[in-house]
Amino acid sequence: MAEPKTKYDRQLRIWGEQGQAALEKASICLLNCGPTGSETLKNLVLGGVGSITIVDGSKVEFGDLGNNFMVDDSSLGQSKAKCVCSFLQELNDAVKAKFIEEHPEALIDTNPSFFSQFTLVVATQLVEEFMVKLDRICRQENVMLIFARSYGLTGLVRISVKEHTVIESKPDHFLDDLRLNNPWPELRGFSEAIDLNVQDPVAHKHIPYVVILVKMIDEWKISHGGTLPSTREEKRELKELLKSRMAAMDEENYKEAIDASFKVFTPREISSDLQQIINDNCAEVGTGSSDFWVMVAALKEFIANEGGGEVPLEGSIPDMTSSTEHYVHLQKIYQTKSEVDYHVIDERARNILKKIGRDPHSIPKATIKCFCKNARKLKVCRYRPIEEEYSNPSLAELQKYLTDEDYSIAVGFYILLRAVDRYAANFNHFPGQFDGGLDEDIPRLKTTAVSLLNDLGCTGLTLTEDLINEMCRFGAAELHAVAAVIGGIASQEMIKLITKQFVPMSGTFIFNAIDHNSQLLTL
Amino acid sequence: MASEEQISAIKRAKVLMVGAGGIGCELLKTLALSGFQDIHIIDMDTIEVSNLNRQFLFRQSHVGQSKAKVARDAVLRFRPKISITPYHANVKESRFNVDFFKEFDVVLNGLDNLDARRHVNRLCLAADVPLVESGTTGFLGQVTVHLKGKTECYECQPKPAPKTYPVCTITSTPSKFIHCIVWAKDLLFAKLFGDKNQENDLNVRSSDTGNSSEHSADVFEYRKDEDIEQYGRRIYDHVFGHNIEVALSNEETWKNRNKPRPIYSKDVLPVKMTEKNGDTEKDCATGDVSVMAFLSLKNPQDIWSLAENSRVFLEALRLFFSKRLKDIGNLTFDKDDQLAVEFVTAAANIRASSFGIPLHSLFEAKGIAGNIVHAVATTNAIIAGLIVIEAIKVLKKDNNNYRMTYCLEHPSRKLLLMPVEPYEPNKSCYVCSETPLSLEVNTHHSKLRDFVEKIVKGKLGMNFPVIMQGASILYEVGEDLEEDMVAIYAANLEKAFSELPSSVISGTVLTVEDLQQEFSCSINIKHREEFDEEKEPDGMVLCGWVEAPVDKDNNKPIGNGESTSNALPSEEKDVEIQEMSGGTETVTGKKRKLSEVDESKKQKKPEKLDVDDEDDELVISDDWESLAKKNRV
Repeated sequence: MAEPKTKYDRQLRIWGEQGQAALEKASICLLNCGPTGSETLKNLVLGGVGSITIVDGSKVEFGDLGNNFMVDDSSLGQSKAKCVCSFLQELNDAVKAKFIEEHPEALIDTNPSFFSQFTLVVATQLVEEFMVKLDRICRQENVMLIFARSYGLTGLVRISVKEHTVIESKPDHFLDDLRLNNPWPELRGFSEAIDLNVQDPVAHKHIPYVVILVKMIDEWKISHGGTLPSTREEKRELKELLKSRMAAMDEENYKEAIDASFKVFTPREISSDLQQIINDNCAEVGTGSSDFWVMVAALKEFIANEGGGEVPLEGSIPDMTSSTEHYVHLQKIYQTKSEVDYHVIDERARNILKKIGRDPHSIPKATIKCFCKNARKLKVCRYRPIEEEYSNPSLAELQKYLTDEDYSIAVGFYILLRAVDRYAANFNHFPGQFDGGLDEDIPRLKTTAVSLLNDLGCTGLTLTEDLINEMCRFGAAELHAVAAVIGGIASQEMIKLITKQFVPMSGTFIFNAIDHNSQLLTL
Repeated sequence: MASEEQISAIKRAKVLMVGAGGIGCELLKTLALSGFQDIHIIDMDTIEVSNLNRQFLFRQSHVGQSKAKVARDAVLRFRPKISITPYHANVKESRFNVDFFKEFDVVLNGLDNLDARRHVNRLCLAADVPLVESGTTGFLGQVTVHLKGKTECYECQPKPAPKTYPVCTITSTPSKFIHCIVWAKDLLFAKLFGDKNQENDLNVRSSDTGNSSEHSADVFEYRKDEDIEQYGRRIYDHVFGHNIEVALSNEETWKNRNKPRPIYSKDVLPVKMTEKNGDTEKDCATGDVSVMAFLSLKNPQDIWSLAENSRVFLEALRLFFSKRLKDIGNLTFDKDDQLAVEFVTAAANIRASSFGIPLHSLFEAKGIAGNIVHAVATTNAIIAGLIVIEAIKVLKKDNNNYRMTYCLEHPSRKLLLMPVEPYEPNKSCYVCSETPLSLEVNTHHSKLRDFVEKIVKGKLGMNFPVIMQGASILYEVGEDLEEDMVAIYAANLEKAFSELPSSVISGTVLTVEDLQQEFSCSINIKHREEFDEEKEPDGMVLCGWVEAPVDKDNNKPIGNGESTSNALPSEEKDVEIQEMSGGTETVTGKKRKLSEVDESKKQKKPEKLDVDDEDDELVISDDWESLAKKNRV
């Protein structure tokens, strides 16, 4: 039988067949296959990514045996890329695995067009100079890029993509879309046909709370000049009113209505996140616009016209105490409305496509349907070019981080991770890399860090001695446990990027293994 | 860069890993590469195909072998010089007693069920060995450290109780697909293929009031010379036709409900099915018997029609009787048993059509029936890395730096990992602080057996309990008991509390002990006459520790039917916190910062994820619990 379906059963439950298909189509390029790179790739190979290409020019040395699980005694002296590649191939024969024995830095300098063939490049343990160069190449070629680095007890992960749009952002807590304070005619009609004062106690306790709230809000509005409850006092009053209509203390449906009454108070407006997307320049579509922005443009028109200020109805309703009959009927009312809304968006999207000279059927119906269902949850992520961030970070943010207790260690590591690269460029080794050099290296690293801060415009601010000492003690070691964490996080973000599901993190993720703290820095 | 002292602490350390699954594989590898040299590993499971997407030490060729042993061999191949001792065994076996646990410097859990976690927690407390506990579901995960007397123990926070359904909902008035699944799995499947001596609430008599025949026959009895399809159709007509008719005759039940529709096989499948012999023989050779392959149903995500479900039902039954006859009588439902999943899916769907409940695909049904929790390699890798970092701190006795870390799915508050300082032991925890519990029970009606099964084993998680009133022993489980004592205990089990040799009435204090776990607690008995059948199906209520601050806002909005996990509570996320009754300010939809929440609600914190990759014993996973929460007529 369908073997892969069984093998991937547990993850299909997270990202579905669509997500899995995207993963199986993706081709990944890994730069440097030390423990961080190997661990990152291992997680993707297990999940069934389409193809991998490992670029590493080094040979397996004795030291690699201590931190990389994918090489052993017999690999000594061989190409590291080859050994890691064959280990990974063993994990999953559905993955096309190849390797290139070459230093990534050389490839970046001599053959930039090499990278254009990939869906995503994951660059590990790369120093700043080459991060900047690679970032430029990948942006040019429209290839997604992610950096991962483990350094002693710290490490970073940073995504770099011009723009990443997400329809299925899958937030785990999101208010349902019931339109209780703005029922459309069918919902209102259904509610009106139900008598809240029905004598039969069994019928009374099985009126769905949606109906109770729709009707009670109408009643409330009549006695309050047409306005919704807004003050705390009024909200309490509405709850009291609901309570007073209970026929018995154990009526679950009324309890649910009281618990859900806050849904009525939520003002009827689209979220600021969504507003921002609609107002984005990209929503003014043209020939080069992506499907996502075409659909956003259709959504914008919908909100301004048929939607009357609202997005397409999602169409699902939560579980609630109700007679099966009422529940099924309600379900149908919500579904029908969401169908109607979808057709409007569909129509509008096709018109827009026509207008910009594209095939009006070039966006599949299923995609538009999915877009409608998730209209309230759309996300657009944009990442600054590395070069821009490094030469011109947001000074206000940087100063805030440096003086904020919660962030000071993370930003300290952020600065020091850059400082060690400068240091290495000057002294041809990383601080603390060689035994007995600490006394000399510590002040040098400090000077380097201070001058870096100066260059960034943070004069007068400095890092704690402790942190600098700690960084020197790391001696650029790539510890397996830290690499496993960084590799795990990097691969997780890669899955989000490839499947276009969930929201990848913004900014630079800094891990601090000393106390398991981590922060995202947006600079 | 590690200090000499740290390196030697790691080298000297003897660690016990419990579980060699998703987290376990990653953990064993990370331990080996972090310098640990003496690792013991217990796991009772064997390798399944569905493990291969993340348990990277295993290959296709290892399917069916011991996880602990294969994991050991795989790691030794790369690190031949270290010592790894595997135990292909259940951690609850008596050889893993307190003395065994005392040999270790730290215990690391990568388990998949509440029961085993609680067991290990108690042994660690009794042996005074630090425990690093962990769990993952989908992109979520957590690592926590437990040291006796210093931090809270694993059981200091109440755990969500397994979801149970009132019997009548399952047997006669299902309103959700989950009810149909429970019926198909726990009643029908168990009745047909399981232990015949198990109690079962399924009606198997062809006639309830049958005064015509003296013995109304058990229709499930398979007659030796019977045609298997005929047998299948008889079962089919009985459970989907006859039993529904019987239920319909009770008109009171259907006053406010939609009436179910009886379904008979001849209406759905009028023609006798033809046998395609060739195909089945081939399947049999590979060992995996599957109806889907046989009926050319390819996609497990498709929803089958009533006719297709009926065919699968009959075909699966036939395959069980023709190809797996030796299994019948001792099968329990296993989510990795393809044929069992097919049978349960079909049976649940046919029942669902009868009750007007939407049908589901095999993929979905399998998820519900097997309580399958999402699992992915990335999270396990992160969590295993964190476990090792934490274990090293424990070995260094770096008390101030212990952290409980939660791995979040949506780093919306700029936190992907959320570390929290460990909490102090809960003074009212019955496991680590010896606080008495109390039990409300009808002492005239409830039997000692109910107490042992539902409370002592079910709620308190004991395996070898001894129940005492003062100095007299009412009940004991053990290997070397005198025969006459065994008889007395067996007799006691059938007695109501008040009828026991030393009568147990309101005010009595019982002592319950587990000798293996070296754990004991006392329970104050309170008599209560009535219990709500729906809300208190056990007929008794255990309170005390359970009343500790339980998260009250369970009614937070749950996704939108989205199938991603939502196991962490709202406090830790950038979500809209609903208005809290009695709060000092109205915070409708107001976003709160972690720090604020942290200070105002210190005792509230992330629920632990009891779940993990493979999970047989746990409850119903969150999504389903929320769906199944409400009762509907």
